[in-house]
Amino acid sequence: MRRLPWVSAGAVGLIILAAVLAPHIGLADPVGMDVAHRLAGPSPTHPLGQDEYGRDVLSRLLWGARTSLGIAFAAAAISCVIGTILGVVGGYVRGIAELLTVRSMDVVLCFPPLLLALLVVTLLGPGASTLVPVLVIVYLPSFTRVAYAGVLSVRGHEYVTAMKVLGAGRLRIMTRTILPNIAGPILVQFSLAAASAVVLESGLSFLGLGVVPPAPSWGLMIGAARGTMVQAPLLLLWPCLALTVTILAMNALCDGLRDMLDPHPAARRVSWFSRFRRRAPTAPLARVEPDTVLDVRGLSVAIGDPAEGRYAVRDVSFQVKAGETLAIVGESGSGKSLMSLSAIGMAPAGVEVAAGTSGMDGADLLALAPGELRKLLGDRIAMIFQDPGSSLNPVHRVGAQIAEAIRAHRPVSAAEARERAVAMLRNVGIPDPERRARAYPHELSGGMRQRVMIAMAIANGPRLLIADEPTTALDVTIQAQVLDLLAALKRDGGLALLFITHSLPVVAEIADRVAVMYAGEILEEGPTAEIFAKPRHPYTAALLRSAPQDDGPAPEGISGTVPVPGDLPAGCVFAPRCDKRIEICDETRPSLFRIGPGRSSRCLRWASL
Amino acid sequence: MEWFAKRLGISVLLVWIVASIVFLAIHLVPGDPAELLLSQGGAAPDPAIVEDLRDQLGLNRPVLEQYLHSMANLLRGDLGNSLMDGAPIAGEIATRLPRTLELIGAAALISVLIGVSTGTLAAVAAGGPFDRVASALAGLGLSVPVFVIGTLAILGFAQTLRWVPAGGFVAFSQDPVQHLIMLAMPAGTIAVGLSSTLFRVTRSAVLEVTMRDHVRTARSKGLSFRRILTRHILRNALIPVVTVLALNLGTLLGGTVLVEYVFNWPGLSGLLVDAVNARDYPAVVGVVLVISILFVTLNFVVDMLYAVLDPRVRHG
Repeated sequence: MRRLPWVSAGAVGLIILAAVLAPHIGLADPVGMDVAHRLAGPSPTHPLGQDEYGRDVLSRLLWGARTSLGIAFAAAAISCVIGTILGVVGGYVRGIAELLTVRSMDVVLCFPPLLLALLVVTLLGPGASTLVPVLVIVYLPSFTRVAYAGVLSVRGHEYVTAMKVLGAGRLRIMTRTILPNIAGPILVQFSLAAASAVVLESGLSFLGLGVVPPAPSWGLMIGAARGTMVQAPLLLLWPCLALTVTILAMNALCDGLRDMLDPHPAARRVSWFSRFRRRAPTAPLARVEPDTVLDVRGLSVAIGDPAEGRYAVRDVSFQVKAGETLAIVGESGSGKSLMSLSAIGMAPAGVEVAAGTSGMDGADLLALAPGELRKLLGDRIAMIFQDPGSSLNPVHRVGAQIAEAIRAHRPVSAAEARERAVAMLRNVGIPDPERRARAYPHELSGGMRQRVMIAMAIANGPRLLIADEPTTALDVTIQAQVLDLLAALKRDGGLALLFITHSLPVVAEIADRVAVMYAGEILEEGPTAEIFAKPRHPYTAALLRSAPQDDGPAPEGISGTVPVPGDLPAGCVFAPRCDKRIEICDETRPSLFRIGPGRSSRCLRWASL
Repeated sequence: MEWFAKRLGISVLLVWIVASIVFLAIHLVPGDPAELLLSQGGAAPDPAIVEDLRDQLGLNRPVLEQYLHSMANLLRGDLGNSLMDGAPIAGEIATRLPRTLELIGAAALISVLIGVSTGTLAAVAAGGPFDRVASALAGLGLSVPVFVIGTLAILGFAQTLRWVPAGGFVAFSQDPVQHLIMLAMPAGTIAVGLSSTLFRVTRSAVLEVTMRDHVRTARSKGLSFRRILTRHILRNALIPVVTVLALNLGTLLGGTVLVEYVFNWPGLSGLLVDAVNARDYPAVVGVVLVISILFVTLNFVVDMLYAVLDPRVRHG
């Protein structure tokens, strides 16, 4: 919850105060004419001058505030009370009451508000006594809807059920339990209605169909001053200013209230442009074996400004070779997705690569110009994401989305790209690919969508495929199909696969090598079979124990949680949860020890495990 | 197709409801409607004249018969005759409606062009100087009532600077250039508020869509910044923009009434304001009915647009 918007609340308060005090601060009579001094300029007795009938402008302005705000608040208050009752009853009782209260309000919404007002004015004649009922009718539906929606969302909650079980009557539940919970949105709606009523009232008065002269009203004053705007422009400007400032303050108050009551405040948005920056290379690239596709060294990623020291990824190094699968394993929050996105220059907004290199074909991906990186992404580097439902664009046909990836990198015609897209869909085992290419993502099943994602990723024959939890959102049978598909692609195409997952059974099935990540660090790395047979880090061992096995002991959980960036233990990051901890573990953060061919561990006690 | 038929059915139903309510409104008011319409400042009107009006409005017949009669007339496009001059209301509306539509169309066009483009720019450079200035201006644009903008525009551009005439209308066939000049001020006035609204929605929608997974996918495909922005971000951000445009249609039509009055644009509202002033009930009913039907129709068009923009809607 944010703070109350003091500035706008204060401004609205001052205007209300002026309106309330208008009769008591010794102002001139707002309707007292003095035709001899019509259109007179400011004078000591009339600080803002006199209008076309010689009436005091300041007095009329303040009395006008009284009229406008009085009518607006009265109308907003009445429609608030009636609308809330209708909405609560309709939402709580449902059935015929719902039809009569909520649905009937929809009818009012068939009319533009001003038109509805004019229709009523024709029947009842103009005047303040007409304006209030008119405005009540106009704003009633919005209150009913807000209250109704609030009740619907609240009525299913446990505490309402609890009240029922305790034998509380309907009326009691409605007033004691539901009303306090919908008070926030109703309050916002009240301020919206009041602000909007000021606009509507002044508009009607301006047309001469609202407040009846000679009563002071800003709308009337503006309407009247139009006739003399050339001789006395100030006469026009004062009420315009008063009206605008009032509405500005009320609108600002509405926005502030809404922000204050919003349970999910929008995170500070970071400009999208900030992600398209180029950074200077931090180190020369190391020499690598010719079949290494991706060579990441010393990668550190900071959340926010690196100077603040909140590192989500620290000193991560690994290599992936052609035709090889490296699985990155770890609990949620271990930084594995962030690390892999950052390694190919796709760090999300608000995250910055602080150090490291990411070599591919002799170039550092982290130091490439945005345009050069773009040429590699989708061509030589491709990605598959966890949720195929949200990772595909809902408004384009899937064939077009694949064709778009092809045309971004290959000089082919639209028709040819379309044909290739269909061929890719056939390659990933989608039946009837011509028809499916014309489908929208929501028309396909989850497994089918993930196949589409894979087809899109491999459309340009990438050398590196990063699969970020590609099977997590799928059910088990589909999972197996997708894994088979990825394995086949790797086998046939010499693809380097970086597979991110938290599922050890999946790792056992697909990976050649495993890197275990925890709290932004790689704790252990090695060939899959060796890691599973003889883990050299207590965390790996604990992970293995926590995975269900067909034959063997029941799975064991790991107590405690992954530490958050910026609040890490001083020594080994796993020490607080480790069952093999000794004193030194809490003091020294271990480096990654090379413990055998292709094997490394970050545990000080790796030899004794 | 089924979806289309359903929306169309709902729209027709709404028009029928609107027509029925407008018909019933006069009967819902307590007291004798004819007497009510003729009363001026508390003085009792002449009974003979009241009787005349009752006859003219058909109030002496049974309510059901009146209702069926007026619905049948409505279907034939007959909205009755004005109490002021006895001329058929439908004919008067037919001359004025295109001018109102033109004004709405021009205002919406200007607003979409300005609001969507500046909203996108502000979102792309969120937090930057352009974003801050534009957001502040939009906040102001939303707070100044449309008749204040119109009146001040006349004072500034017409009376002081003398760039444009203070208002009025010249048929396009007579003098196209002058016609457009005279259209510019009222259309621009309506566009201030509407483009501010569209700016706000576009800005927040673009920011929201930018965070979505499928935009990350688009980046991972190596698409150009422009293509990601247009095809993947804007294309999706337009969906909430259209929703808000639909929610603001009522304000837009109301604003049109005031702006036509301010600039002497001879659209429907001049007729309406005169009719309300003269308590010319049949004329008010006719105009309110036509604008409400226009409102329902515009909502229907927006629904269609929605379906074009969002393939998921067509199945819902």
